[in-house]
Amino acid sequence: MNFFEVFNLPRILNIDPKALERKFHELSRQYHPDYFTTAPEIEKQKALHMTAILNDAYRTLRHPERRVEYLLNIHGFKPDGSKAPKALLMEIFELNEQIEEVRSGTASPEQARSLAGLIREKRERFDAELQAASREWDSLVADGAPETKLKQQLEKLTEIVSESSYIRNLEGETH
Amino acid sequence: MGKIVGIDLGTTNSLVAIVENGTPRVIPDSDGNSLVPSVIYFSENGEVLVGNRAKEKMVENPKHTIFSIKRFMGKGIEDVREDLPLLPFDVSPESEHIIRLRIFGRDYTPPELSAFVLRDLKRNAEAALGEEIKNAVITVPAYFNDAQRQATKDAGRIAGLDVLRIVNEPTAASLAYGLDKRKQGVIAVYDFGGGTFDVSILKLSEGIFEVLSTSGDTHLGGDDIDEQLIRLVLAELRHTPEMRGVPAIRKAVVKAKEELSAFETADIAVDALNYRRTITRSEFNALIQPIVERTLAPCRQALKDAGIKPSEVDEVVMVGGSTRIPLVRESVQSLFGRVPHTELNPDEVVALGAAVQADILAGGKRDMLLLDVTPLSLGIETMGGVMSKIIPRNSTIPASATEMYTTFAEGQTNVKIHVLQGERELVKDSRSLAQFDLKNIPPMPAGLPRIEVKFLIDADGILSVSAQEQRTGKYQSIEVKPTYGLTDEQVESMILDSFEYAEADIDARLVIEARIEAETVLNATARGLNNAEYEQLSSDEQSAINAAAQHLRETVKLEDHHAIRDAIERLSEATMRLAELIMNGAISKALKDKRVREVQ
Repeated sequence: MNFFEVFNLPRILNIDPKALERKFHELSRQYHPDYFTTAPEIEKQKALHMTAILNDAYRTLRHPERRVEYLLNIHGFKPDGSKAPKALLMEIFELNEQIEEVRSGTASPEQARSLAGLIREKRERFDAELQAASREWDSLVADGAPETKLKQQLEKLTEIVSESSYIRNLEGETH
Repeated sequence: MGKIVGIDLGTTNSLVAIVENGTPRVIPDSDGNSLVPSVIYFSENGEVLVGNRAKEKMVENPKHTIFSIKRFMGKGIEDVREDLPLLPFDVSPESEHIIRLRIFGRDYTPPELSAFVLRDLKRNAEAALGEEIKNAVITVPAYFNDAQRQATKDAGRIAGLDVLRIVNEPTAASLAYGLDKRKQGVIAVYDFGGGTFDVSILKLSEGIFEVLSTSGDTHLGGDDIDEQLIRLVLAELRHTPEMRGVPAIRKAVVKAKEELSAFETADIAVDALNYRRTITRSEFNALIQPIVERTLAPCRQALKDAGIKPSEVDEVVMVGGSTRIPLVRESVQSLFGRVPHTELNPDEVVALGAAVQADILAGGKRDMLLLDVTPLSLGIETMGGVMSKIIPRNSTIPASATEMYTTFAEGQTNVKIHVLQGERELVKDSRSLAQFDLKNIPPMPAGLPRIEVKFLIDADGILSVSAQEQRTGKYQSIEVKPTYGLTDEQVESMILDSFEYAEADIDARLVIEARIEAETVLNATARGLNNAEYEQLSSDEQSAINAAAQHLRETVKLEDHHAIRDAIERLSEATMRLAELIMNGAISKALKDKRVREVQ
């Protein structure tokens, strides 16, 4: 059973967090081991494993980035930064150097601030791209688009996630 | 299933509680105390005392009076090296992965020692509830790791309890707190006890208590404050006293610490060492400021992990004896920007919550549900000594993760797996949880076997592992040898060892029950001797009664319930005719009264 099936959802990327939480609580009330203390061992085990899958699914799907990665994963796509275009790698390399300067204290506070701003801007651009691609994916799923179309979209998503992972790492380092 | 009790197995004090008619209440011991000090005293002749009676021995016989054993649960000698100088116990040389205290030539592990406290609580509950108690929910600090949780469960088993659930203390507190108020919103539980500190952020909605994050320090509590004060006294003493002087100092500083929660100054007086000084609250505050500060970093971490700003916390709940300290309250208030709740007794709230959880498990409360998290990330060792996280901290439990393993050599039949807990990147900085071999892998060319290993953290926060080779579909038998814990066989043998105590327990209970009955019979006899009917007995009958009563009064002093029962029986026989006469007299009197009324 994959995580989307646990929540009885189609494989979509825009999920209402409130609705997901409601469903999570509802399913928890149904399966949680607390309610099976006096049940036979086999039912206890079932409750334990069902709840573990439910929790794993919720942990993954509630988080937009983990959700995309999971979707790609179950379709056999693995985001991989090493395939990023050369121009992006160069850019990252330069940004990394600037971060080093900030770290070693040779950059001014203004430079540090503007660097952080620049990285945030880049990350937000990736976020917007990812959101647009996610919406496209959802409408393809809703329209019952053919396999080839879906596959193309998954490739596009893989590319965005791979490339954005660099920026996310950089952003993590500036905090 | 019989009744399920909730137990707060604390560093300093322990309590047992139960839900009756929907309300949790703490069960006191036979003296009416709800707190049982987590102290165990061993006498040379093999007698073991627990609780207040053991605590009394602390100063006179420190070496054999064990306290704060919770700090040793799931630990090896290296983990507690710095505490040892101030502790008067003998540590066994065989303490590398499990601390063992040597008491009169016998080694005891922390689970065995904790079992003495649990057995005492079990006995109190049995005496109060009038039935055998076999099932319990036991609380642990939220930040306890796998080994510490397992050690607590082992302690329960050794004490003859089936531990149906290990519950985190701050979460238990939130259950007790949210019970009658039907709260909604975000609450923070700040739990500062005798030996441990925890903070948990929870979201309450429609009976679901969802933990968003937890953080803490399992080695930070009132004990550390005591140690600061002890060091202060030691520094002021001109000559360093022997180790045996420390318990007297400890007793004096604990008293001063407690007084400073209510007064501006307190005296630290150690008569035996001819030491006395006054300490003001501001001196005390300056001394403990660094300790209080250490609780605030986990609070900030928990807020960050929950994605919650301090201003978004609706309520702050204070738990644990150390939250009585004014500086602690002030610091928490300024961090969260609101006055924390202190209306529930901070010593009792965890036990009450444990009882509520026990009631949920027993099927009493279906409308409430606790969704807790694992406090530490679970990982496995990968190439180059790196820890690869597979279940992140603050994941709702039960939680699982699956990893694929394969072989590196032709025909390789074993693969080693090292499981770790912690937030650091490198294996050497993480807590080793267990190491085991995947065995009996069918011989195949390197890289061909596909072994799916499933790591499962259950609702107690305890790990189990199962594996399946994908090509053959064969399940692997996995023997997980805990790095810092007891194996199942060790626990089994401790359970066997503990039977001597369990038998002594049953005997002790039977003696108590027999004594209570003896007292009832003796009182009834004494009343009978004052009745007019007593004079109607022959002098032989009278002396038989007096002899039997005297015999029972003597026998009651013995620790032999058979003898007490026999003596009760003998007295009952001797008083048989007197009882009949009194009964007849009462009936004829009742008839006479009736006749008088009828005449009127």
